[in-house]
Amino acid sequence: MPTRRILIIDDEDDIREVAALSLESVAGWQVSTASSGAEGMRLAAAELPDAILMDVMMPAMDGPTTFREMQKLPELASIPVILLTAKVQGVDQRRFAGLGVTAVLFKPFDPLTLAEQMSEALGWS
Amino acid sequence: MNLIVLVLCATSFAGLGALLLAYLGARKRGGELEKSLAQALEQIAQDESALQKRKQLDTLKDEFISTVSHELRTPLTSIRGALGLLSAGVMGKVDDKALNLLRIASTNTDRLVRLINDILDLERMDTGSAPLHLRRCNLNEVVKQAADTMRSMAEDHDILIDIVPEAKTDAIAFDGDPDRMQQVLVNLLSNAIKFSPNGSTILVVSTLDGNNLLLRIEDTGRGVPADKLETIFDRFQQVEPSDSRQKGGTGLGLAICRSILVQHGGTIWAERNDAHDSTRAGMTFTLRLPRLIAASEVMPLPVAPQGAILVVDDDAGVRQVVAEQLRRHGYTVLETDRGEQAVQIAERQHVEAILLDLYMPGLPGWQTIELLKKNPATANIPVVILSVLSPAANTLDSTQLLSSAQGWVQKPFHESLLLAELGRVLHVGTGPGRILLVEDDEDLASVVLSSFEIERQQGHDEQQIGIHHVSNAADAKHFCLNGPPDILILDLTLPDGSGFELVNWLRQQPNLRTLPLVVYSGREVTGAEMEQLRLGPTQFLTKARVQPKDVEELVLAMMRHLRQPGLETRPAYPAITRP
Repeated sequence: MPTRRILIIDDEDDIREVAALSLESVAGWQVSTASSGAEGMRLAAAELPDAILMDVMMPAMDGPTTFREMQKLPELASIPVILLTAKVQGVDQRRFAGLGVTAVLFKPFDPLTLAEQMSEALGWS
Repeated sequence: MNLIVLVLCATSFAGLGALLLAYLGARKRGGELEKSLAQALEQIAQDESALQKRKQLDTLKDEFISTVSHELRTPLTSIRGALGLLSAGVMGKVDDKALNLLRIASTNTDRLVRLINDILDLERMDTGSAPLHLRRCNLNEVVKQAADTMRSMAEDHDILIDIVPEAKTDAIAFDGDPDRMQQVLVNLLSNAIKFSPNGSTILVVSTLDGNNLLLRIEDTGRGVPADKLETIFDRFQQVEPSDSRQKGGTGLGLAICRSILVQHGGTIWAERNDAHDSTRAGMTFTLRLPRLIAASEVMPLPVAPQGAILVVDDDAGVRQVVAEQLRRHGYTVLETDRGEQAVQIAERQHVEAILLDLYMPGLPGWQTIELLKKNPATANIPVVILSVLSPAANTLDSTQLLSSAQGWVQKPFHESLLLAELGRVLHVGTGPGRILLVEDDEDLASVVLSSFEIERQQGHDEQQIGIHHVSNAADAKHFCLNGPPDILILDLTLPDGSGFELVNWLRQQPNLRTLPLVVYSGREVTGAEMEQLRLGPTQFLTKARVQPKDVEELVLAMMRHLRQPGLETRPAYPAITRP
């Protein structure tokens, strides 16, 4: 797998760290992290990552809102976004799918296959 | 009991115990909220508001479940992730002892995740917030997909999954939720693999059986003791308490399977293979699903010379049994397998009562009853629901159903219960109403009695009701044996035994087992107790919450409803059926 640059946006410090470690050490990707939607948008604009892995439930600006805001900015609109959510109810799933994100993955994720799942969803494999 | 198991599991993870307790606390509060519906008696005239309240409550529950789900998963995500990375050696070499500990922590985290998923699954089915996404399915295909999913687990145990599909592939279509049915099969296959000896074969056989599809999953494992064949479908009922640790199950799998089957209008049961052939080891789980019936197979419209009982059920076996029982007791019987036809027959012929199944291809029972009650020609025909669902189940809007049907018999049923219920709906409404109040507190009894008396003096009593009072169980039995009352109002604490014993006795009397009952107790009745106390249409009131006047209003409303089926456009009384 070629080296990819990923931005992780999650307000939970622990999850950010585990997900980052997982992508770095299992897939060898370069990872940067942001702890809020706003910080995530700033970092995304500065770094233009290959993909964004973003939590759904965050204070202030949640995942879906951040995604919609990014769609308004031409330089960010083309970055594929994968939502990572602990909400697994069918109604939530359908709502997220309707947003136009690349994929929705569920927590708890398997740290050993997270990169693989992302690659598959992004058509990288 | 379940709660204790949950809390014990959870305490090994900081914070989770507290969350689960909060969740369970809220469940309890939810139960109280439901009971407070009983307070809404004054709103009998405004039932829509009660319905709305119920819906709000369901929405609250849904939101709560969704939040708990999220709150539990978030810390587990970090734990599982960290343990996974460490035990895979991704973060550097770990010595063997430490690795073993990491593996223990890791498998138990997985177990906790499965447990949470299963609990939430069941909870959603219970609250009806996991509706089925029905599609036309083919049984052979669903089986094949489930087997494919389990193939690698089976290979790990050196076990072969041998599928014997029904040859008539066209005939085994059903309307179901393929994801849910897959969940059932994966669960059963995974159990079979776990409990089968290495090198053995698991047989999956689908067959056509009249209007049903049968699917058998046969293994050669250690089997379940004969006395536990039914309890294994209860929650947290594993055969060996150590199974959850050793086999990694949650103890909820079979309960989920049964819920899903019931939602599909089907059933699931377990048998020991040696019950049929003493030399065979292992278990067979059988699933029965109602199949779709092609238009060409629709039955011709039957005709009856005089008043008849119409049996509406797509299962030819059930129709045959019911018809035979009724004919033996002198009833004329008409049969149909579809709701649409039931409405036509009821319109054109003299039908005295309708026995109605809920799950049928085409027009389901709950829509059939709606059509019947809307149509002036059929609105007055009493309807008895004949269903695998209990009136307390929430897979359907039972409030709506309870308010339009006059009776309910749960399948599988005993002949005498069916006859009693039919007899009750056919014979109500003649002569003055008889109400029996069983209450040992003389003061309270006289207040309730005078409340009915006032009603009569004011001339509101168009129903000519006579209320009788006894103060112990023995007198109550004596009264009932001399002629069943129309409604029984029952206090739970009596000088010569409890109300539970009296209800138990009533249940054993062929002509009393479906008596309409109002339980008027000094304390809150739990969900399990409600099940023990249910006779015919049963309502629960708590003394601290309602006034004697409310009791009278509820009883009169029940009486009106029992005597004038279909005349009321709104539910006659709020159905408080859910624990």
